[in-house]
Amino acid sequence: MNARVKPRNILVDGLAQIGEAGLFLPTLLAAVPRSLRYFRETVRQIWFVGAMSLIIIMTSGLFVGMVLALQLYHVLAIFGGTASTGTVVALAVYRELGPVVTALLFAGRAGTSITAEIGLMRATDQLSAMEMMAVDPVAYVATPRFLAGVVAMPLLCCVFSAMAILGGHLVGVTWLGIDNGTFWSNMTSNVHVWKDVIDGVVWKSLAFGAVVSLISVHQGYTTPPTSEGVAYATTRTVVASSIAILALDFVLTAFMM
Amino acid sequence: MVPCAAVHVAMLADPPLVGYRCSPMSETLSRTDPMPADDALVRVRGLTTRLGDRVVFDGLDLEIPRGKVTAIMGPSGTGKTTLLKHITGQMQADAGEVLVDGRDVARLSREGLFTLRERIGYLFQNSALLTDFDVYENVAFPLRQHTRLPEELIRNIVLTKLQAVGLRGAARLMPSELSGGMARRVALARAIVFDPMLILYDEPFVGLDPIALNQVLKLISTLNQTLGITSVLVAHELAAIQRVADRVILIANGKVVASGDPQHIAQDGSPWTRQFFGGEADGPVPFHYPADDYAVDLGLKEPA
Amino acid sequence: MTQRRSYAVGTGLFIVLGFAALAYLATQTTTLVNMDGGATYSVTASFTNVGQLKDRAPVKMAGVRIGSVSSIQLDPKSLNARVTMDINKRFDQIPADSSASVLTSGLLGDQYIGIQPGGSPENLKNGSQIILTQSAIQLEDLIGKFLVNGSPNSKKGK
Repeated sequence: MNARVKPRNILVDGLAQIGEAGLFLPTLLAAVPRSLRYFRETVRQIWFVGAMSLIIIMTSGLFVGMVLALQLYHVLAIFGGTASTGTVVALAVYRELGPVVTALLFAGRAGTSITAEIGLMRATDQLSAMEMMAVDPVAYVATPRFLAGVVAMPLLCCVFSAMAILGGHLVGVTWLGIDNGTFWSNMTSNVHVWKDVIDGVVWKSLAFGAVVSLISVHQGYTTPPTSEGVAYATTRTVVASSIAILALDFVLTAFMM
Repeated sequence: MVPCAAVHVAMLADPPLVGYRCSPMSETLSRTDPMPADDALVRVRGLTTRLGDRVVFDGLDLEIPRGKVTAIMGPSGTGKTTLLKHITGQMQADAGEVLVDGRDVARLSREGLFTLRERIGYLFQNSALLTDFDVYENVAFPLRQHTRLPEELIRNIVLTKLQAVGLRGAARLMPSELSGGMARRVALARAIVFDPMLILYDEPFVGLDPIALNQVLKLISTLNQTLGITSVLVAHELAAIQRVADRVILIANGKVVASGDPQHIAQDGSPWTRQFFGGEADGPVPFHYPADDYAVDLGLKEPA
Repeated sequence: MTQRRSYAVGTGLFIVLGFAALAYLATQTTTLVNMDGGATYSVTASFTNVGQLKDRAPVKMAGVRIGSVSSIQLDPKSLNARVTMDINKRFDQIPADSSASVLTSGLLGDQYIGIQPGGSPENLKNGSQIILTQSAIQLEDLIGKFLVNGSPNSKKGK
């Protein structure tokens, strides 16, 4: 017991976590064919992790776009380039802020609830009960939540980005008085579909969705069955997800450049 | 979808609803019963299990007779729950074998194991109801997962089972709205939804008030007597066990130390039964957890 | 069952909303907007210097977009840049003696081709060449000129 409580080397602990989560991925994926029987459960989970996160995602997107436009307008004014405000807002959101902020919010809103839910199911023997009812808990509980996260993340990121553009337009055009035509034409002549929208908003967020969902499900599934264990696992989901998102973001950006 | 024997009807007070068992299962039942004459449903032979350094079972041998209520007792930490996990194949033994209905659980494939588990009801200590679903959906859960029965039929089966445990009126409550005793009865309804051949009760009496305790006791004996379901109870309450069990098996130190009928087992004269049923603090189960010499630990004496 | 169905409907709405947002981002905020729908005809023009002009740069007339640059190549004989433009068929009444110049939108903006109408009764057709062209103004040249000529004068003025 003591050996487990004793604080371990953070680096070793972190590597062990990465390894365990990585080993959990094949288990999750192997259960995909079996979890197709529980398609309804996946749909329900998309509702919980995706649709229920819409409000926080939309509000955050709007404010991110607004503050970006406000900051950039004043910086660009120094160079006489306020016409590019819309372009820079769009590029910053599509390439970085959209996927990253959405993923961080997703980890905090949906990731923690996945971990806590699965952890409590473990603590209250619900997972064992499923096994006793001849229902595979990986296929019924873990995989649908993982798939739901992978599906919901890019969709949330699209909504976030659209709201950010709206927010940027609101501040840039309505408030600061950039000409509406200039705002859009400048944006539409510099933002590219594949390089910016698809690479950033779709591929990046897909990768983040997979990583955050994997961490959340794994943490929940391996929670020690105590209330302290659930609390600790939830915290760890947020910490591990945030680090993973930011580190992966750098790697992905380097590859996409 | 063949309406099977109207055995449930006997349990019903209201207008009888015929119970159904999904057809694949009754086929399995008839096809795979190798020796119906065998009077032991569960046979444990030479079971040896280690958890880390601790030896939980040390060559355990026991038999659980068909159609009877068997109580497994023993001091805390003797692995009674572990034994149940061996019977359901949730744990693997280091040596020895567990035969359920003539088949070695450890050798079953995943599918074989799941088929077996569909025929075993397991009542968890904390009920383990799925908190996402209401009572009705909890009981319907195994049916929805393993059969494609029409909704109407599922409804009939679920209401029959809920009626049997007296909670038909609570069908739309969520698990969080139930008391401990009610939750346990719902879990029992869920455990019998497929008309299992065996029900394993893990500490079914813990934390129940006397009324709930009597309700659970009544259900256990009703299920056993009317449906002939073999029942295994893991519990500590001798008074309660004496009212339902046909046989008591006392486990300690990884072995069966006594067995017999519940009325007389306490008087069999062995030191184990004397300590356990007499509730003595010291005896074959020591009061002190194994430790070094007390005087040495306090620094009063040089270590030898 | 109704509970289950409402999840399905809500999830469906959520997915539709997500894809709608993606479609909006992809088609309304990117260069896809500038993909001119409909038929075009192509016109060429030679410039001594196109500066930073790129493929797909807009072609504008009186500030309104009428087409885009489809290719920029060096003519091996004249050593001039040969720019091919696709102009929307709707704008088929551009006088043949119109002039084309490489312009910059704002100080830091991208470059585009501006067309100033001439007075000829004949119009540009598919394959015609715009004779009158004005190359890009090179910012470096301007600054160079200013440093050589401008600064001593301003000193004298004082």
